[in-house]
Amino acid sequence: MSSKIGFVVNPIAGMGGRVGLKGTDGVLKEAIALGAKPLASEKAKETLKEYFSNYSTKDEVYWFTCSGEMGADELKGFGVKKIEVVYNISDKGTSPEDTRNACKKLMEKNVDLLLFCGGDGTAKDIFEIVGKSIPILGIPAGVKMHSGVFGITTSATAKMLHEFVNKTLTIGDVEIMDLDEELYRKGEWNIRLFGIAQGIVEPTYVQVGKTVYESVSDNAIKDELAEHVMDEMEKNKDFLFLLGPGGTIDYIARKMGLDSTILGIDAVYNKKLIAKDVNEEEILNLLKNYPRVKVILSPIGAQGFILGRGNLQLSPKVIKKIDVDNIIVVSTPSKLSSTPFIRVDTGDKKLDRIFIRKEFMMVVIGYRLSRVVRIQTNNF
Amino acid sequence: MKRNSKAFLKAEYDDLVSKNLDWKLRVLESGSTPHSIVDGKKVLMLCSNNYLNLSNHPRLVQGAIDAAKKYGAGSGSVRAIAGTMKLHIEVEKRLAKFKRTESALIYQTGFAANAGLIPQLVGDGDIIISDELNHGSIIDGVRLAKADRAVYKHKDMGELDKVLKEADKKYRRILIITDGVFSMDGDIAPMDKIVKLANEYGAMTYVDDAHGEGVIGPDGRGIGAHFGIEGKIDVEMGTFSKAFGVVGGLIAGSQDLVNFAYNKSRTWLLSGSHPPAVAGAQLAAIDVLETEPQHVKNLWDNTKYFKKELKSMGFNTGESETPITPVIVGDSGKAKELSNLLFDEAIFALPIVFPMVAKDKARIRVMVNAGLTKKDLDFALGRFEKLGKKLKII
Repeated sequence: MSSKIGFVVNPIAGMGGRVGLKGTDGVLKEAIALGAKPLASEKAKETLKEYFSNYSTKDEVYWFTCSGEMGADELKGFGVKKIEVVYNISDKGTSPEDTRNACKKLMEKNVDLLLFCGGDGTAKDIFEIVGKSIPILGIPAGVKMHSGVFGITTSATAKMLHEFVNKTLTIGDVEIMDLDEELYRKGEWNIRLFGIAQGIVEPTYVQVGKTVYESVSDNAIKDELAEHVMDEMEKNKDFLFLLGPGGTIDYIARKMGLDSTILGIDAVYNKKLIAKDVNEEEILNLLKNYPRVKVILSPIGAQGFILGRGNLQLSPKVIKKIDVDNIIVVSTPSKLSSTPFIRVDTGDKKLDRIFIRKEFMMVVIGYRLSRVVRIQTNNF
Repeated sequence: MKRNSKAFLKAEYDDLVSKNLDWKLRVLESGSTPHSIVDGKKVLMLCSNNYLNLSNHPRLVQGAIDAAKKYGAGSGSVRAIAGTMKLHIEVEKRLAKFKRTESALIYQTGFAANAGLIPQLVGDGDIIISDELNHGSIIDGVRLAKADRAVYKHKDMGELDKVLKEADKKYRRILIITDGVFSMDGDIAPMDKIVKLANEYGAMTYVDDAHGEGVIGPDGRGIGAHFGIEGKIDVEMGTFSKAFGVVGGLIAGSQDLVNFAYNKSRTWLLSGSHPPAVAGAQLAAIDVLETEPQHVKNLWDNTKYFKKELKSMGFNTGESETPITPVIVGDSGKAKELSNLLFDEAIFALPIVFPMVAKDKARIRVMVNAGLTKKDLDFALGRFEKLGKKLKII
């Protein structure tokens, strides 16, 4: 199998350097301390070494990359012949602008996959250029990696690369997460959902013959989830449904013909969109008119948060009013395979404790099909 | 334009062939015995489900002949109309006695039992809770049901408890379904614990004991006997097609269950009943199990010896607790290669590859048989050792 891989390393990966100047509290200091170490180049080499020694023998890969420490240096030493440098960096060091410009050049080469090494910030820079046109795969090298584009480890990333080249993995939605800089400057550490990119995910298999399995596309699974949600709405006609952010729920909403927002929270009553991209206050106002509410959420980002990342509008006050038991969590099985927990970080210890006491939540993974998943919170 | 109504037949078959996913049917030119002739080649049979080697047992063969001579080749009808013969009733009575349950019912096949009964036991407003590794025929039965479904991690009682707790709040009926012996790994569902949990929540229990019937428990009486909980599992589903050496599915449980099942299972109601020869052989199989304990004993002696020797050679046989012996190879390609090499060396054993099992857990699945002699087992072990070394598995 042959593939064209675009490869970018952010040599000063992680957010430490970027935010260190502004931060004050403990979390930040830790981030600076970790981020200040130039880890990216080593992590990139580790991944490449793993890939070339274990998997590359039958893979035909054409590499497109940047000069120096943004890719070419890392690829050196592995005997790669099919390599083309498409972007040259200056001697003054690199910036997010370099990442973005490199991506533009790589896109011109029609690469099949963008492999990068960095953290959430790098993922965001790449996503801004690449969008949903090609899948993105991240070698984890940042201090914080909340985005769903990263492999769990360098060796897992190498394996994913090999499986992508051999087409045994499928394409699915992954979230790009971003630090909310405004709140950050005030000393609050908040992660918001920046966008939905394409990532490579483990397919779901369905047995068709005794030993024959078909891999099911991410969208086919989401179709099932949509059916499920529509059934829920049918069964609970007097309920207001709040649809959370993320690719899975956006797909479901669109399947129902709703012009929903991908990053925001939308309100649906009687299968009609009655409010779009609502903030906390607007939700609280809605709750006055609609006392019975269900919330549809999906795990967001690499760590599987359903509350506290990317949907701060669903504040503790809102959740307490709605009641924890009215939360319906939906997820594709492939997403659950990479996030074995669902996490909540509501910022309200009392509310978090309600989730802790529950220990598990039923997560809908197909039409009328669910499984229990352990809940974790940040406090314990 | 008129559509090409049948082009997909060839296209889809060709696609399977190109991906090497089509069934290449091997043809038996002898009976299914430890030494079989397969595609013209004499081989040691290590992939049949004929655990106790009863399919060629003289008493079973005679039972079939006698019944055919007396009652003919066919039964003439479905059970419900005019196809219930005295023989069928006798098999069911004897089976209930053997299983130590109040009653029993024969289905045409195990698949017919699962696909026919499961969707009747639950409906809208109910939930089926299922082990994530359950067999395909259960999954199809579950799909036909109008109930909601939840899966729990393989044999994880903690998770099952949590699902039950959640389900308890919302549903009318709860049905827990599990394989008794899991066919890929040969491990056994903790049925005693499942029954206990089910009782706490008022849930029904349903076990598919296809690979346990005739194999586990005292005298091969199956999973209920294995855990000493005969009659406490609501539905013990099993088969005559494997250790019993004949064909057919079965359920054992209360009279209420049986009355309900034959009135409601569409598979049972709409398929012809077993021919007399089948029923005659089934009856003889129960006779043999009750009077010739050596078969079950041989099966277990062979299993223990074979596994011990494989392990001492350095093979990984996984979590198996039964005669299903996975020889874990790792990579799918290697498992297929080993299977082919084994066949060249006159050993017939099937490779099980991803996604039937995890990517790094591809294997040869050896089904140990009571009829194998020590010489046969040593022959097989020698070939496994030789090829295992050749392929750098051990």
